[in-house]
Amino acid sequence: MRTSRTLGIIMIAPAATMIFLFYLMPAILTGIFAMTNMSTATGISGGVYQVTQSAANRLQDDMPELAAGIAEPRFVIDDEGLAALEALKLKPGYVAELRGQHVGAVFASRREAERVIKALKDRPSTREVKQISDLFNRSVLNTRFETRDALIGSLEKLGFTMTPEEQDKVARVTYTGWVWTTDNFRVIASSPDMAKIFFNTAFYVAVTLMLFNVSYALFLAVTTHYMPPATASVFRAVWLLPRITPVVIYVLMWKWLTWDNGFISMFLGQFGVPPKNYLLDNAYNAWFFVILINGFIGASMGMLVFSSAIKAIPQTHFHASEVDGASRWQQIRYIILPQLRWPILFVTCYQTLSLLASFNEILLSTRGGPGRATEVWSLAAYHTALNNYTGNLEYGLGAALALVLVVIGIVLSLIYLRIFRYDTLISKPLIED
Amino acid sequence: MADKTQISVNFSSVPVIFLLTLVSLPLVLMYTYLFVDTISNSEAGSLIPNELTLEHWRFLWEIRPGKASIWLVTLNTFIFAASITAVILIVSSMAGYVLSRLNVPARGLLLAGVMVLHAFPSVTLIISIFIVLQYVGLYNSLIGVILVKAAIDMPLGIWLMKGFYDTVPWEIEMAGLVDGASRFTVWRRLVLPQIKPAIMALGLFSFLTGWSEFILPQVLAPGAQVQVLSVYLASLIADDNNFDFATFKAVGVFYVVPVLILYVFFQKHLMNIYGGGTKG
Repeated sequence: MRTSRTLGIIMIAPAATMIFLFYLMPAILTGIFAMTNMSTATGISGGVYQVTQSAANRLQDDMPELAAGIAEPRFVIDDEGLAALEALKLKPGYVAELRGQHVGAVFASRREAERVIKALKDRPSTREVKQISDLFNRSVLNTRFETRDALIGSLEKLGFTMTPEEQDKVARVTYTGWVWTTDNFRVIASSPDMAKIFFNTAFYVAVTLMLFNVSYALFLAVTTHYMPPATASVFRAVWLLPRITPVVIYVLMWKWLTWDNGFISMFLGQFGVPPKNYLLDNAYNAWFFVILINGFIGASMGMLVFSSAIKAIPQTHFHASEVDGASRWQQIRYIILPQLRWPILFVTCYQTLSLLASFNEILLSTRGGPGRATEVWSLAAYHTALNNYTGNLEYGLGAALALVLVVIGIVLSLIYLRIFRYDTLISKPLIED
Repeated sequence: MADKTQISVNFSSVPVIFLLTLVSLPLVLMYTYLFVDTISNSEAGSLIPNELTLEHWRFLWEIRPGKASIWLVTLNTFIFAASITAVILIVSSMAGYVLSRLNVPARGLLLAGVMVLHAFPSVTLIISIFIVLQYVGLYNSLIGVILVKAAIDMPLGIWLMKGFYDTVPWEIEMAGLVDGASRFTVWRRLVLPQIKPAIMALGLFSFLTGWSEFILPQVLAPGAQVQVLSVYLASLIADDNNFDFATFKAVGVFYVVPVLILYVFFQKHLMNIYGGGTKG
């Protein structure tokens, strides 16, 4: 039955296209961008060659005379300038004499050039000297060259002779576009800031996961299990609120709770405690609330998964254990927990990945502050590449940071796939050739 | 039959209810004040409201300086969420059927891929997506961010649809084929009606995640003309010059009420998706 195969390919094509465009390609491009120094300054398309003062400064060590030379004005008596001089319609003698005796001359400073112009037979006035010398100003400083050849050519015309290596070096420091580099990874590996961010991330993921996504979710699932169904569903609904509330409002409510004009400050104010911003006044408080904010969201998913797993345990187990005089703690320890081994593993795997990658809540609550105390890896990538105070967005470095997460994400999801044995989930198509 | 609601005859449930009430207090408090503060004023330093007012809802009829009109923003949000829902429903109801029933090359690989992507933290790709959208000129447009958001939620959609198709008995399709219908007709006329509840659930879920999404529109479409409610609210809060919690909360309530209404009415539909695990 060929139609089934063709139909299948047609019906899966849109999904496959979207997966290719928005997963595969971005993942590969993240790897590619990570190997560049793309930033706001370099732009994302090509660049030009421009001799700036800072480029000259960078050349200072290797080629001091060239660096000094290109940063200074240069005056060349050439045809272009002569033509411009003719167009000015000053005395024709200037052009004739300059063309006859000085064509090709290069002067390293305005003074030298003007001395020659002043010595012309027709005696130009001081104003004219200035006017004429301007026409022959061929300084490269701050001029933009579209190609490398144009840059090198114009430098050579000015009398700078360079070996090919020197040309490479000059081209490299004056290029304004992005180039290939592995510096991003060197920065990540060696910077103390990144080490701090790495430990922040590990701390944040581990603590949130242990305390809330697993332990607290278990606590909610078990306690609601021991309640009358109506009461239990009220509590489950309350604890589902953090998940269904849009994140911006959810964090707004936490800000209202913690800020200096918020609930905690006002409440404690009744007892004479001066108001302060509990979210941002020090690193400990910031972490405390960041973990609560994320933990409450994480707890709801675990609660649902664990609750349905507990519901699947036959009631007879509980009844039998109570006949035998088991305490509540013994029921939890010997009946519930052993049944929850797989759900706990599932939640742990799944939430590790979401905690690693999600930075919504931290961005909206502390923005990584105070200082950079609550900056985690994914937020650092966001700040580096998409939003920061200095305004120079370093796409390359940000992509390198994201690449680390992409690699961790792929590895962990593959492990997740192995643990949860997807092959048992495929059944053979029954209507086939 | 009194025991029917009682899980355990030996223990009282009062202590656990008390304990859980205590830990739930902060949440209840925050949500209560979210609504109370929008329609009342209280004296400085006091937590008890002393007058009712509608002044915090001014944003509905006044345009704040430098901001888009709330109605334009709401329309954008609606278009955003509805388009995402449409794209996800169409694409994943087709792909889910293929993965569940049809014999295509590399079916196992595709299924594994979908499962990996379901767990994969897609927000890590946002930097390269941002650069690509700038290249192709879809930066700051609703179309670009709709496609990205739909693609990011799609693995979950395909996965769920595949699961629902798996529960449809093969006999229905066999009967259709025997009667001479093509595979496509069988899917369209016989199988799709069987999974209407699933389509309903996935549609609602996609609409709600689209409505709530913050980081993608913030990064990929922050411009005033294409702003959605989450970005609008975040920009209000970030503006230090006009700091006013009550107005923020009023905008917040305006934004959250559709979510809560949908959730209350369709809780049963949504529950099996939230339980199945979502990102975030």
